[in-house]
Amino acid sequence: MSFSSELLIKVLVVLATAPVMALGLTLLEVKGSAWMQRRPGPLHVGLRGFIFPLATAAKYFQKETIIPKDVDEPVFKWAPAWVIAAVVGLFTIIPLSPTLIVRDLELGVFFLLAISSISTIGVLTAGWSSANKFSLMGGLRAAGQLIAYELPLILSVVGVVIQAETMSTVGIVEKQIEFGFPFVIAGQGIAFIIFMIAATAEMMRTPFDMPIGESELTMGFMTEYSGIRFLIFYISEYINLFVMCAIASTLFLGGYHIPLLPTEWVNFYGPLVLIGKTFTLAFLLIAIRWSFPRFREDQLQTLAWKVLIPLSLLNIMVTAIMKVVF
Amino acid sequence: MSQTMDPNNMPFLSEASVSVEIETEDMTLNIGPQHPSTHGVLRLVAKVNGEKISSVEPVLGYMHRGYEKLAEVRTYPQVTTLVNRIDWVSGFANEIPFIAGAEKLMEIEVPERAQYIRLILTEMARISSHFVFNGAFPLEIGALTPIFLAMEDRERVLDLLESVTGGRFHPNFNRIGGVKPVAGAGPTTKKDIQDLPAGFYHDTKVAMEKVLKAVDTFEDLIGGNEVFQARTKKVGILTKEVAEEYGVSGPILRASGVEFDLRKQSDYLPYDKFDFEIPIGENGDCFDRWSVRTSEMRESAKIILQAIEDMPSGPIQAKVPKVIKVPKGQTYVRAENPKGEMGYYIISEGGLGPYRLKIRTASFSNISILPIMLEGALLPDLIAIMGSLDFVLGDVDR
Amino acid sequence: MKSGERKTLNQSDQNEFINSIQSSFKNTSYNFDTLKINVDISSWIDTHKILKKDFNLSFFNWLSAVDWDNEVKTGDAPKEPVTPSFEILSCLSQTNSNNLVISSTVISKENAEIESLVDVFAGANWHEREACEMFGINFLNHPNLTKLYLPDDYEGNPLLKSFELISREVKPWPGDVDVEGMPEESIVVEEKGS
Repeated sequence: MSFSSELLIKVLVVLATAPVMALGLTLLEVKGSAWMQRRPGPLHVGLRGFIFPLATAAKYFQKETIIPKDVDEPVFKWAPAWVIAAVVGLFTIIPLSPTLIVRDLELGVFFLLAISSISTIGVLTAGWSSANKFSLMGGLRAAGQLIAYELPLILSVVGVVIQAETMSTVGIVEKQIEFGFPFVIAGQGIAFIIFMIAATAEMMRTPFDMPIGESELTMGFMTEYSGIRFLIFYISEYINLFVMCAIASTLFLGGYHIPLLPTEWVNFYGPLVLIGKTFTLAFLLIAIRWSFPRFREDQLQTLAWKVLIPLSLLNIMVTAIMKVVF
Repeated sequence: MSQTMDPNNMPFLSEASVSVEIETEDMTLNIGPQHPSTHGVLRLVAKVNGEKISSVEPVLGYMHRGYEKLAEVRTYPQVTTLVNRIDWVSGFANEIPFIAGAEKLMEIEVPERAQYIRLILTEMARISSHFVFNGAFPLEIGALTPIFLAMEDRERVLDLLESVTGGRFHPNFNRIGGVKPVAGAGPTTKKDIQDLPAGFYHDTKVAMEKVLKAVDTFEDLIGGNEVFQARTKKVGILTKEVAEEYGVSGPILRASGVEFDLRKQSDYLPYDKFDFEIPIGENGDCFDRWSVRTSEMRESAKIILQAIEDMPSGPIQAKVPKVIKVPKGQTYVRAENPKGEMGYYIISEGGLGPYRLKIRTASFSNISILPIMLEGALLPDLIAIMGSLDFVLGDVDR
Repeated sequence: MKSGERKTLNQSDQNEFINSIQSSFKNTSYNFDTLKINVDISSWIDTHKILKKDFNLSFFNWLSAVDWDNEVKTGDAPKEPVTPSFEILSCLSQTNSNNLVISSTVISKENAEIESLVDVFAGANWHEREACEMFGINFLNHPNLTKLYLPDDYEGNPLLKSFELISREVKPWPGDVDVEGMPEESIVVEEKGS
């Protein structure tokens, strides 16, 4: 198979998978929250609530796209593209098995951190170009938050990289298989917690959803968006949830590997294992979302700069020392 | 940075750059009248410097319906339909001080059973109002789950209210001299008229036990939540002195440490027959305001449980003339409503309706402290403070 | 979280308070459990200062006005003729008892002006703005006497008795008599609470 046809197939697979995963997570979120809140609706409406996400998506397709008069139109129109490009781009390095991966980059983790920060541009331009004070404040909050939480995200992964001695995602999983335990048990527990907190903040989910903060900023940087563009923001939020949880399972929970299953069949069960782990992590974040209020902006920054970053630096130091000693 | 610099007077460029300050202008942010957290149609014109608020000016009147004027052209029994709609979250409680005022002017002694029914339904209105608060306040801070739990539990209380009065929000149940005597009567004769529906005592007992359980859940889910505490403790502190000067009443005043509850101090309903406590806050911050209201729900449930235990029998309506004419006189009657002190100053000139009716509502005075409390606060605190004041726009604008 | 102690109404305390008010102010009345002080317009501010300081009436309840007139466009006119005037009412109370005082002063319609209470009770601000737009009374030295409820370009003062309620002119209110029949005898329910 030539390189270009292989690439085409892989891109098509990713483009088909990403929305499906987003739909799955939307369903999980709707059902999970309905279960937590004793809401009967999402458990009964439309085939026991299962076609609900499709109905939501269809609704947004029908909606009229409203572009306010004073917006910076090209910037406003392209902002959702930045966000969805960044999150779909991350699929490149998620290994479903040692071979089922778009590209096993040598600098996989580095790529992850570089690409994930692109969405900041989309959010900031969306807020800036909307010609709305609430959007502007939302965009600025988002920029401050994404920059602040990029650091603990990177620094917590550095510990994993030191322990695995590689930046390739497949390499990291293989190292965990070789080690016998996933990294979350074997030394990187704190890094895992920091990663999950920072990832939640990166995804702008409750309790870190101040950039959206519907009770303060109506809908933050998304206030002026409608129709299909709003849907893109909405879908990319769930794709991002999937990607971040998939990366967390890869880096910390052993990825596609599960003990006691024959490794030669990994191409068959690998994807299922990874998706299973991802959805479990996602459910944890969903449960957190529906039980906590949101932080205040200054408390969020305090948490990042005064707690998470020193803690992750300490984690790097301890990991490095252990690496040298043993 | 638009200052012009004369290079001759600026020998060192580095010094020059230090002396130039970037001037920033405050941004005017219109919060409302259409905004998810303004409880309807309150508008706040805020001057913000980044996230910090330098001043706030509330703009009222989007809900002004002119009830004081409308009351002048209605008869006394008709006014209750208006006052129901002042604070629509606790419609029943609004009727009590008005009816009590008219009865005081007419010198009517209300039968004890009617007073008990009024008391029970007032406390139910209080519980349902505080349920709404327990849903809306966390929602504004960003927690979405409590409102669904609160609404479900509130529905049980509203069902009870509906079973007695026929209305969930606007019961219009009080009559001068007693309560409406026809609920559940059907087409039978007047001799068979019952005042409370069958099974009311049992249903109330069940519902109140559920309320007590729900209060425990809220104290756990909301009050025990670290993020909620971080958002509300030491935020929006209101001192006693300021509260009194602005006429802030009800749970907000009590959260600031003032032990003042008209249910204990006044005798508009027979509250002295029951054993209950007045929850008091210590710091006067948002958390205390939440905590006082939530504890009040428990006390209200206790009052209702006691009241159905020793409900007296007897008439539910005193003898009143067919056409109600209130003799000349002036009186001010106030009551402890869920939102705070509500009172009516009735000036009667002996006609069918009041010559002038001054309606004193709790939320109006309660939100008049917003400009003071919000000065220097952060934008997210604005939402927390506004939510903790628990106002209803109908109660502000009348 | 502490809880308040159980308190009962203390009738003697209340009588004592009423007596002390009646001995300090000349023109007082106590009808229908409402204590009212009538003062002259010149001592309006001083009265509030005294009430706040000497009588511990620190809780500012409300302030409003009444339009006394014989010619009315809405509602019923007073049975006995009155002197056309504005009566300003304010209500102060205590936060440790049920004691409450209504202060009242009369101002003429031609010269509807009165000193603002904002310096004594800051909470009077909004109440005076409301009275200003509803009755057209000018509160001197008020920091911001703009419209509170009504639109800025609204003309007229709605709570004046001369202000017509247009909808009522178009269609008279149908209910002078209650639709629902009043109970002819008192209804006795022989039921004991469980």
